[in-house]
Amino acid sequence: MPEPTGADPLPQATVEPPKRTRLSVIWIIPILAAVVAIGIAVQRILTEGPTITVVFKSAEGIEAGKTFVKYKDVTIGHVTKVELADTYGNVEVTAKISKRAGALMVEDAKFWVVEPRVTLSGISGLGTLLSGNYVGFQPGKSDKKQTRFTGLEVAPIITDQPGRRFVLKAKTLGSLGIGSPIYYRQLQAGQIEAYALAPDGKGIDITVFVATPYDKFVTPETRFWNASGIDVSVGAGGVNVRTEGLVALLAGGLAFDAPSFAAPAGPAAAGAVFTLYSDQATAMKQPEAIARVYVLRFSESVLGLSVGAPVTLLGIPAGEVTQVGLSVDPATMALHPRVLITFFPERILARVTARDQATAKVMTEGSDKVRLQLIRRIVEEQGLRGQLKSGNLLTGQLFVAFNYFPGAPKPKIDWTQDPLELPVVLSTIPDLEAKLSGILAKLDSLPLEAIGREVQDDLTSLKRTLEDTSKLLSRIDAELVDPLKTTLEETRRAIASADRMLTNTDATLVGKDAPVQQDLRDALQEMVLAARSLRVLTDYLERHPESLIRGKTQENK
Amino acid sequence: MSAAARSGAAAGLVSCETCGLLSRPAQAVHPGHCPRCGSELEWRRRDSIQRTWALLIAAAICYIPANILPVLRTNTVVSSDADTIMSGAVFLYTSGSWPLAVIVLVASVMIPLGKLVALAYLLITVQRGSVASNRDRARLYRLVEIIGRWSMLDVFVDTFTVALIQLQPLMSVEPGPGVVFFMAVVVLTMLAVESFDPRLIWDAGTSWQGRHA
Repeated sequence: MPEPTGADPLPQATVEPPKRTRLSVIWIIPILAAVVAIGIAVQRILTEGPTITVVFKSAEGIEAGKTFVKYKDVTIGHVTKVELADTYGNVEVTAKISKRAGALMVEDAKFWVVEPRVTLSGISGLGTLLSGNYVGFQPGKSDKKQTRFTGLEVAPIITDQPGRRFVLKAKTLGSLGIGSPIYYRQLQAGQIEAYALAPDGKGIDITVFVATPYDKFVTPETRFWNASGIDVSVGAGGVNVRTEGLVALLAGGLAFDAPSFAAPAGPAAAGAVFTLYSDQATAMKQPEAIARVYVLRFSESVLGLSVGAPVTLLGIPAGEVTQVGLSVDPATMALHPRVLITFFPERILARVTARDQATAKVMTEGSDKVRLQLIRRIVEEQGLRGQLKSGNLLTGQLFVAFNYFPGAPKPKIDWTQDPLELPVVLSTIPDLEAKLSGILAKLDSLPLEAIGREVQDDLTSLKRTLEDTSKLLSRIDAELVDPLKTTLEETRRAIASADRMLTNTDATLVGKDAPVQQDLRDALQEMVLAARSLRVLTDYLERHPESLIRGKTQENK
Repeated sequence: MSAAARSGAAAGLVSCETCGLLSRPAQAVHPGHCPRCGSELEWRRRDSIQRTWALLIAAAICYIPANILPVLRTNTVVSSDADTIMSGAVFLYTSGSWPLAVIVLVASVMIPLGKLVALAYLLITVQRGSVASNRDRARLYRLVEIIGRWSMLDVFVDTFTVALIQLQPLMSVEPGPGVVFFMAVVVLTMLAVESFDPRLIWDAGTSWQGRHA
């Protein structure tokens, strides 16, 4: 390595202080802090959803900061403030809704308080027992945004199922409630969504929801009826028990169907109004457009005749009893049962063949005058009379039957009164009773005791006879059997000897080399020879018949 | 104020920050290591003013969310409350325990804020080369340094409560995001105090216009 020589004066290297970076790395920390802080601020602003106010009647179980707003069990917001409304009548619940659910806060969105609810048809909101009540939410279909809502008192049952709603008009609510099922052919097709007193206070408007696909079976002709509990009816037709399933039995329910006579029709419009019938039979009755009221005045007890009992015309159901009461004859002060019946001519019309339809129509739908004349003719000339008949001997239910009694006397009827009184005849039920009691009386008068005694005597003598017979038989047994036995023995012996004898005979006659056989063969041989000589003789005689006279002649003559 | 006060650096000497030994530097640029304790010698802390500023600004930024965001979330069966530092102090005051409210207010709001202001004041005066009331500023610095760790009181109480109150279904307490920022404020101010070189206070008015940032 060459040494630096003094001859080469080299310049001195300068020491430069290290270049200072103008900006220290430490500045990352405030930048980072700023970024985080700004990030949080931005996130806060971005996630800030709308603040809504829901007005409730009461804020039961709703607490600021604790109660959530849930949709499909997902928290979409929380209650921030609960306070009385300005009028102190309601409660204003302010809730902060998350940004994501902010778009759902539209005009027809629904809010309600979810709380544990125990009904016969089930227990709902059980989770709220631990978590506390929460505000349920159902989105609307509108596009119009809104921040102030009115909360519902009760939860809407159906949330987003497709289907249609109808209104049923009922007289009373009965055992129905929100959530009560609606059946179609015993399948659950929907539920009762809400009910309210009708504006006029004379009924209940029940809003029902029928889910798809059942809703298309609700036509304008459809009848709804109350299927709650067991429907037990005792009528002239017997005892009828009908129920729509166990749940309906316990919790109540509705059913619907179209009556068989209904003309096929398209589905009813949503919101269509129907009448709620009390039971299936009522619902399925044909609507009686024409109803004619008549009066029957009986002179016998009408025990067992109830309102609604059928009225038949020649055995065909044609109406029903609408009132059972009493009438007083002002002249005699006599009381008579007065029965009001309603006649539905259309029922008769439905039974008439198409060919006779036109004639029948004139009869049923003609003017009052024509009708009166017609009835008069039938009553006076053909003897149409009403009569009480027993529909069911067990239950004693009565019904009114109209039949022809050709021999009936001509009735005196005021043809101008309204409702018209129709003539009646006494029922056959008292006849039957009289006959029965007659039979009973005869039965009663029978000398049953004497007969009994005689029978007993007879039986005693019969017993004696039988005893004698028995004795006789035992004697026969003792006296006859032993000799009989001996006889039998002897007979057997005789038969045996006969048998033996026959066997012997057999040997003598048919056995091989039996003497008889031998003799027989010899005899037969002799007979053959005799026959041969006889033939020779006959041949000769044939040729020489004269020999019989002349004797044998010489051959050569 | 003694006019004779001369800083060591102005006299060409460097003091050890660990053991306080005054020694001659090995080089002008890199003073070398302390001959007694072996720690690295510096004329002045590196980039002291810049670092302090950076940490101070970071702490100031964190101070905002620390006071806005909740520091404690209390869940009970019936309610769920989130408390910020201020709402906690207000709650303590309204519920009657005003001494506690004052403690919380002083320890958690005023002290951090005071530290921020004090440091900013020190930095500005140093940068401007102010010579007035140097002694008071040095005292202020020492105060800030001592007081610094005590402002973790709030975080301490927070962690304590969270650890103790965990009766799951009935009641539970969980820390809010604010406490993290609060902690960041405390730690950052402590670091800022640490990175500030108090010797800079005395450099003003001396011939040694050191290599401060």
